[in-house]
Amino acid sequence: MIRLEQATKFARTRGINKPIIDGVSLVLERGKSIGLLGRNGAGKSTLLRLIAGTIRLDSGKIIRRGKVSWPLGFQGSFQATMTGEQNVRFVARIYGVDTRELIDYVEDFAELGPFFKAPVGTYSSGMRARLAFGLSMGVNFDYYLVDEITAVGDANFKKKCRAVFDSRLQGSDVIMVSHSTTTIRDYCDSGVVMENGKLTYYDDIADAIRAHNGNMKER
Amino acid sequence: MTPNDVVCVLLQGKAASLGHVVTHMRVVSALLIREMEARFGSKPGGYVWALLDPAAHVLVLTIAFQAIARTPALGTSFPLFFATGYIAFQFYQAMVSYLNAAVKANRSLLSYPNVAPIDTVVARYVLQFTTTITVAVVVLGTITAWMRVPPELSWLPILEAVSAGSMLGLGVGLINNVMFVKYPLYEKVFGIVNRPLYMISGIFFLPDMIPPPYRDIVLLNPLVHVIMRFRTGFYDEYRAIGLDMGYTYTFAFLTLFFGMILFSASSTLLRNE
Repeated sequence: MIRLEQATKFARTRGINKPIIDGVSLVLERGKSIGLLGRNGAGKSTLLRLIAGTIRLDSGKIIRRGKVSWPLGFQGSFQATMTGEQNVRFVARIYGVDTRELIDYVEDFAELGPFFKAPVGTYSSGMRARLAFGLSMGVNFDYYLVDEITAVGDANFKKKCRAVFDSRLQGSDVIMVSHSTTTIRDYCDSGVVMENGKLTYYDDIADAIRAHNGNMKER
Repeated sequence: MTPNDVVCVLLQGKAASLGHVVTHMRVVSALLIREMEARFGSKPGGYVWALLDPAAHVLVLTIAFQAIARTPALGTSFPLFFATGYIAFQFYQAMVSYLNAAVKANRSLLSYPNVAPIDTVVARYVLQFTTTITVAVVVLGTITAWMRVPPELSWLPILEAVSAGSMLGLGVGLINNVMFVKYPLYEKVFGIVNRPLYMISGIFFLPDMIPPPYRDIVLLNPLVHVIMRFRTGFYDEYRAIGLDMGYTYTFAFLTLFFGMILFSASSTLLRNE
């Protein structure tokens, strides 16, 4: 369960003071995969980072029951000077999982070949995405925070993601940001629509998509 | 709430904070390995360079000054005189220059929620401290082993100088991690102020030799005291006029205190520019 209590966060840069979430209270129950919808720049990625805990709220609280992943973007959270293998090893160490096992799993999943032992800075975006996706799927989380990651990669990769996700989603939930409503509909049961600093929860993802599309037509 | 519940709640709190400590330790050790790979694993020779660099430096100073003067300002061994000065200085200088980019060099790893900015500083601190200690033991050990009459070491002054120097380095490093990001101009100013420290901290002269009004100015620099204190551990006969460890410790503690406050108040800035 993830619970937001009067959560408030403003984006502040050079005189801009825009609410991302403003006094939001919301409960996301276990067992539901949630799609996060909102217009460009609404702050969907920031919300994911808030849920992950990499950035802090201005006020209010986020309570997490269960292990929450880092926000999974296609950029990856990789150190460009380290090799793919070193990055994987680092993650294994900070999450306290078996290093050998995780390396084997990711090496097999990401299909990077010799590039696995080359600096991540030399990777293409597809390679990064494969590494990022494989890495996070190798660690067991209750919640996977996914930011547009399935948008990258070829059909083969997408199929692979889908397969591994389906087996993972048996025991875990996903909170997903994507501009593709098809992807959201594929992966998620419920939806949250972000608009003007407010979050609206819809139990059925179809309702959420309808509401989001309505918002998009307004402006 | 029954007393039993209270105990339960207290224990849960304790378990949670213990969990935090365990996570920090895990993250710091992972960062430590990553930093070692980056620093020593990327070029052939690896660790040897960490030793060769200061050793060569002391050698160059020795050759240069032996040509000018007959004896060093203290004792009879040029290498020992320069090595004691240079290595004591390195506990501050090498620390600061390595710590300055601690957060910046690990920025992408901060997108993992359990990696905190302070972990990157702690990891670099541990690595630099052990590196300088190793350098000190090897370089000074070699020099004293070659001397006809090896000096009798007194450990208390040596350890005092080492802790004061590296504490100062940690404090300044914490401040710089924040300020370099916040005010790019400060980075330039810091470079201008920090560079001459090498010349004025008493690595190749003794502040004792400077006439009074100017000596007091030189003694304002806490690093002068660090180096003086370090040398008293090697030279029995060294009187170290004007040495004031109270001043040095106060300076170091205040810097560290200010650095910690600034650093923890700037977590948002450090995580995402």
